[in-house]
Amino acid sequence: MNSPSSEHFNYPTGRRAGENAWLWLVKMITGPLLVLILTLHLIVNHYMGSAHSGLMTYNDIVAYFRNPLIPLIEIIFVATVVTHSLLGVRGIILDMNPSQKVLTWVNAVLLLIGCSAVGYGIWLALVIASKST
Amino acid sequence: MPEQWTVTLRIYRQKTNEPSRYDTFTLEVNPDEYILDAIERVWAFHDRSLCFRHACHHSTCGACGMRVNGVEKLTCITTIRSVARPNAVLTIEPLRNFPIISDLVVDMGELYRKMEAVEARAVLPITEAEIEKPPHQWKTEDSQYVRLSDCLECGLCISACPVAATSQPYLGPAPLAAAQDHRLDRRPDLLTLIDSEHGVWRCHSAFECTAVCPSFVDPGRRIMDLRKQTISAKIRHFFGK
Amino acid sequence: MNNQPAPQRLLSWFNPLGRNPGSWAFILNRLTGLGLTMYLFLHLMVLGRLAQGPEAYEEFLALTKSPLIKLGELLVIGAVIYHGLNGLRVVLTSFGLGVRRQVQMFYLSVLLALVGTAIFAFRMFAG
Ligand code: SF4
Ligand code: FES
Repeated sequence: MNSPSSEHFNYPTGRRAGENAWLWLVKMITGPLLVLILTLHLIVNHYMGSAHSGLMTYNDIVAYFRNPLIPLIEIIFVATVVTHSLLGVRGIILDMNPSQKVLTWVNAVLLLIGCSAVGYGIWLALVIASKST
Repeated sequence: MPEQWTVTLRIYRQKTNEPSRYDTFTLEVNPDEYILDAIERVWAFHDRSLCFRHACHHSTCGACGMRVNGVEKLTCITTIRSVARPNAVLTIEPLRNFPIISDLVVDMGELYRKMEAVEARAVLPITEAEIEKPPHQWKTEDSQYVRLSDCLECGLCISACPVAATSQPYLGPAPLAAAQDHRLDRRPDLLTLIDSEHGVWRCHSAFECTAVCPSFVDPGRRIMDLRKQTISAKIRHFFGK
Repeated sequence: MNNQPAPQRLLSWFNPLGRNPGSWAFILNRLTGLGLTMYLFLHLMVLGRLAQGPEAYEEFLALTKSPLIKLGELLVIGAVIYHGLNGLRVVLTSFGLGVRRQVQMFYLSVLLALVGTAIFAFRMFAG
């Protein structure tokens, strides 16, 4: 019942890594993870702290970062959210059918932005953790 | 005496290298006639230069797809009653996301090439058909019976798809549904194309294809199922099976 | 002859005329995604003030008391809840779960986003 082979017609499969299962899985895994972390983030930042109305003061935040687990979680958070958002932006750009040249640039720029944002996030988390109230 | 309505057709007109315009035609219709009947009447009695496509008149050939008031319809099975009221204006436009050849006729070559790229099946063994309530169990000898594939290749889904609007090489609903119909475990050679940049991951879940498909293909569901197939094929590959 | 797919037609992504709830889900997902990306980088930049010590940070905090900023924060909260829940809808349907219920899931995402935003609005302005 199978139709003859389609050797005569080769669809451009786009061998470049425009989009594939692994990239997509990263988005699908970081997404729900973010739902989890963001729920915590929102609760902590709006319901905890000295006045129970959120981490609203400098001292509250510095005290919160005392717990060594917190900077770690925040760093994971930054990495996840930056990855997810930049992959999302890349998805939108892919929808505009970029040429190979444009896509190479897009990849490079997004990678640069992503790495600097995560680097900055790590630096910031460590700086806050080392402060004293 | 059948019911009589007056409706106005506002038809998109465009010939090569000419600017587009809308022509209006007011006619008496029976609301249970089909949109295509009214368009044929316009052609027969008002304007012989109007270009449109049809063949079978019974939702088989997939030639008569157009947009009616902005929504993709197979005009040979869409009654006037289902989309209009007495004295309504019906805007008739060609499908989107295909180059216009003349008036309501678009060049669907791209869709046919994509269907060919996934070797879409026109008929399939009945035992492989995803039908609503299959008999409890197929017998092996039942596979001698074949069934027409649901897809008419009418292109309505491509016209309705937001991703297809901006990315020409994106395979789009009907070809992805045709790949799902093959099943990647039966046709592992399709994996490269389906898992590529123009394949199954580019759908953004608007489910417009399913909303407009006139033929129960339900491409949205099939694309989602194809994702499952792709992931399991990739995982099988990863573990070297 | 301007009907073929083209990147310049990107505004048509956001045109809901004649479209179904699923398109609204897609449009909102894209808009909130873009908005949240911008907010994320703004947020990261602003938090840099924490490194400059208490004065710099409290100074910035004073700014956030303005109703306009608060309104913006509410928008962000609504966008986060919607994008998160609709994202779960996308994940579930992508694994073949609830495809036939995708419209209901979309409505639920919008509803919960509105409720969540209302709760935060209440805390912000009345609480
Ligand atoms: S999937 Fe449905 S809408 Fe798309 S071409 Fe086939 S029959 Fe037409
Ligand atoms: S005329 Fe053949 S499908 Fe409508």
